[in-house]
Amino acid sequence: MITSSFPIAGGDFLTAGFASRALKEQLKRIGVDGQIMRRIMIAAYEAEMNVVIHARKGNLWVKFDHDRFNMEVIDRGPGIADLALALKPGYSTASTEARQLGFGAGMGLPNIKNASDVFEVDSRVGKGTRVRSTIYLKTQPVGDPTGHCLSIGPELCNGCLDCLKACPTRAVRVWDEKPHIISALCIECTACIAACKRDVFKIRDQVRKQVPQRSVAEALQDTLVIPRAFLTQFGLKIPPRLVIAVLRKLGYKDIRFSEEWEEELRWAVRRYAAEQDSYPVISPICPAVVNLIESQFPALIGQIAPFMTPIESAIEACGLQSATFVAACPSQHTLLTRADLSGRLQITGPAELSAQILPLIAGQAGSAVSEQKPIPHPPRTVNPDLVVLEAWGMENVIDILEKTEKGLSEDFRILELSACENGCYGTPLFKENPFMAKNRWAASRLGRRRQVSAAPTKNPYVARAGMRLDQDMGKAIEKLTRIDKLTAALPGRDCGACGAPTCSSLAEDIVMNRRPGLGCAVLQGREES
Amino acid sequence: MKLEELIKVLNARMLQPGQKETTEITHIFAGDKMSDLLAQAGPGTLLVTSLANTQLTCVAELMDCPALCLVDGVDPDPRLLEAAAKASTAVLVCPFDMFETCGRLHRRFYGESHRRP
Repeated sequence: MITSSFPIAGGDFLTAGFASRALKEQLKRIGVDGQIMRRIMIAAYEAEMNVVIHARKGNLWVKFDHDRFNMEVIDRGPGIADLALALKPGYSTASTEARQLGFGAGMGLPNIKNASDVFEVDSRVGKGTRVRSTIYLKTQPVGDPTGHCLSIGPELCNGCLDCLKACPTRAVRVWDEKPHIISALCIECTACIAACKRDVFKIRDQVRKQVPQRSVAEALQDTLVIPRAFLTQFGLKIPPRLVIAVLRKLGYKDIRFSEEWEEELRWAVRRYAAEQDSYPVISPICPAVVNLIESQFPALIGQIAPFMTPIESAIEACGLQSATFVAACPSQHTLLTRADLSGRLQITGPAELSAQILPLIAGQAGSAVSEQKPIPHPPRTVNPDLVVLEAWGMENVIDILEKTEKGLSEDFRILELSACENGCYGTPLFKENPFMAKNRWAASRLGRRRQVSAAPTKNPYVARAGMRLDQDMGKAIEKLTRIDKLTAALPGRDCGACGAPTCSSLAEDIVMNRRPGLGCAVLQGREES
Repeated sequence: MKLEELIKVLNARMLQPGQKETTEITHIFAGDKMSDLLAQAGPGTLLVTSLANTQLTCVAELMDCPALCLVDGVDPDPRLLEAAAKASTAVLVCPFDMFETCGRLHRRFYGESHRRP
């Protein structure tokens, strides 16, 4: 990884361009592809000139490693009063002097945005502006799915079989009165966690490291990305604003909500869907639903809009900065661990972070917190004919996807399907009722804080081999015939006594030889009597 | 088209030679907004503009653009020529205004037809 910093002097049109030129020299030595170089230069020069035109001074930071270029331009200047307007092509507040030199076309921010794979700008009036841009140097190779990240505490289990019945993909078995997960079938939704009354299922390595002691400089850089629902978990006496204030005290300078990227994705998918001919477009809003489609509905993969899931966009937006993420579910946790190759991300869970802040919250209830005005949403114009179907709960999601496969949902233009009730508000990792949590958030009137972007997929969504019985299709067909025969011979009560959720799951386990000594308790009983 | 051929078409003076006069020009872009010039410039592009400040050479250099053509017979800032020499970007000055310059270039490239082929 290479890091460089170039100072930029505001108002100096003679030496302006120095930072971009120095950056180009660096990139040439690395051997960056020509087209990528063009995009980097457009982004860097426009950002540099923005500082020269508008601010007193600024800095261009550059970090790059093997697969991406990250740029951050921070300035001390007047700030941008209306971000949405500033992003509109043609809008400019440049001085006459700058305009005489050919600047001030109002294309600066739009050009940077177009050149970037991930773009973000935020600004405070009277303080300054920060522009971040990420450009991929090359695409990453497709990684193997890492399997599920759930750990099971067998000592807590009393063998109630609730998880067996709850799992929508029939990935759970109860063998020797202890639950097991067949990772090839698990899609990392939260059904088993929600069903279990004894907290047997936990996210493995939820706290990988204790949040280390950070120096002030590091803490200033540190970003915390949390689901909004986290702020509404502390009852009616502790409003979200207070939770934010406490998190700030912990040293998190920059607190972001994963829903910022979720909302941006909603709009990005609407814009994308307006240009498509075949419907419905599936929004990759929930990683568990994406997992489900990849492993069980491969025919629908082409209908997923080519954007990353919100949590992945959030990871991209953090660039190479260190950041702490609160994973709301196993599927988010897996995406985070997979993205964190360099160890720059801290991944934690809602319960762990709560435990950290609870001592600080005690005694704070009811104290006044300063108001901060949220940034209003930019006006969005989207074809009103786009009918969006929003649904949640794995049973509903699977039912809708089955109907979509048969072409029975073409009256909907967009499917926004999520595993948990009310999206991430409903994950069982949160204890508050999802509807109360969501409405408490809405009542807090905390709004959007940044302009973020929905990142396009780096790797297309691809089918996963979860359901496949054998690599060889001939053998797979043979196995399927045996499973069907065996299923027909079983009683069909789906009682779960054998440890498999259904009779056909048991037949599959026997044929696939998932465990020795499997058999049907009911049939055995009949033989004995 | 070779740069030297364009010089003849435009009656232009070469104020600052670039790498070589036989530089191949594959794309011409005319405009007065830095952002547009930046977005359109590339290897093989001739930028035609009525701007004449040092930032112009900076854009050309960053985008690997081989040549600039200034219009209206302007006398550019000596610092522009200095910067162009350093970056080995060719600088031409053409006596015509922007409209006439573009008209001549367009005729030369596309003949008398009104549309781009």
